Amino acid sequence: MAWHWESFVYAIVAFLILYWLLNKYAFGPLFGIMEQRRQMVLEQMNAAENSRKEASAEMEAQKQALAQARQEANDIIEKARITSSKQADSIIDTARSEASRLKEDAVRDIESEKNKAIASLRSEVGSMSVAIASKIVEKQIDEKSQEQIVDNYLKEVGSK
Amino acid sequence: MHEFPIYHWNGLNIDVSAFIAITVSAVMTFVLVKLLTRKLSVANPSKTQNFMEWAVDFVHSTIASTMPLNRVRPFLGLGLTLILFIFVSNLLGLPFGIVTEIHEPMWGVTADTLAHHGGHAELAWWKSPTADLSVTSGLALIVFLLVHFLGVKMNAKHYFQHYFKPYPIFFPLNIIETIAKPVTLALRLFANIFAGEVLIATILMLGAIGTPFMIIWQGFSIFVGAIQAFLFTILTMVYISQAAIHDEDGAH
Repeated sequence: MAWHWESFVYAIVAFLILYWLLNKYAFGPLFGIMEQRRQMVLEQMNAAENSRKEASAEMEAQKQALAQARQEANDIIEKARITSSKQADSIIDTARSEASRLKEDAVRDIESEKNKAIASLRSEVGSMSVAIASKIVEKQIDEKSQEQIVDNYLKEVGSK
Repeated sequence: MHEFPIYHWNGLNIDVSAFIAITVSAVMTFVLVKLLTRKLSVANPSKTQNFMEWAVDFVHSTIASTMPLNRVRPFLGLGLTLILFIFVSNLLGLPFGIVTEIHEPMWGVTADTLAHHGGHAELAWWKSPTADLSVTSGLALIVFLLVHFLGVKMNAKHYFQHYFKPYPIFFPLNIIETIAKPVTLALRLFANIFAGEVLIATILMLGAIGTPFMIIWQGFSIFVGAIQAFLFTILTMVYISQAAIHDEDGAH
């Protein structure tokens, strides 16, 4: 086993040529591809992250919109409730005042009817008592006493 | 043991088996990787692309275990080339061997050697390139030069300071360490693969009885080949990291 400088030099040259060729035609493209894939994965991860953020922002907006809609619905219901109770109150008030008005009218009518009846009864009684009185007077008064009564009335009239 | 054929050409002693092995390993590595990285796709990777990406990730994490993560990228191609080339090289000599017998002095075999072997010699034409110290020392030299170039270029102050750490008296020790690193790198890889091939040749001498041993040893050699490729790569990265990457937090 001898050491040959020719083999030594040839080995060095061959290795350097191999290194150059491999780098140029095999490793270079391969590293390029691997680098590209690394970039691609990075980009995709970034894109995924972005879309995730977008989705969560969208979700948040949706949630807010939903909460707002719910709030509005509650407001509307509340308002409707208030309006309806107000209306109910006013209807009841109106009905009550109407009823009391009717009642008062009725009481007034009754009163006036009663008064009329009393008045007519009174005039009836008056005329009846005059008639009765005149019947009694016709029977008992003579010429003399009649003259005296007339005189009395005249006197009374004259003194006034 | 087999002799290796030497081709004399313009005053150069060309080790034919090593040249064949280096060329075949390099071409196979390139073709393999090229086939595995056909039709690259970002969104819909094929099975082979997935495998290559797994390999890239594996080497990436291996390098990242030696240096800060943001410094890994420039060394990824080097680490991948190292681990793939050495792994293919380690396996190259395993499946078969090509041996010819000669009876005359030729292919660099001298008459003395022939006489020493009893008039004939066996020439091995096929082996793992990493079973040749010339090849592994070539790889180690590349690493050595790269480490010290990067050390001076990227980290000059700490690079020169580290020769005198922890005290100036340690300078000779640091020099020995600096030299020992590439030497051990070359010898470790060479010795592991060479020993594996020697043992394969030895088991072959057993004939048919050796078949179970051969199966076991072939399997183990694949394992050793993978381990050694991994070791060479990670040690290279450790050396680069030590020399060139100065962690500002004072990690080393």
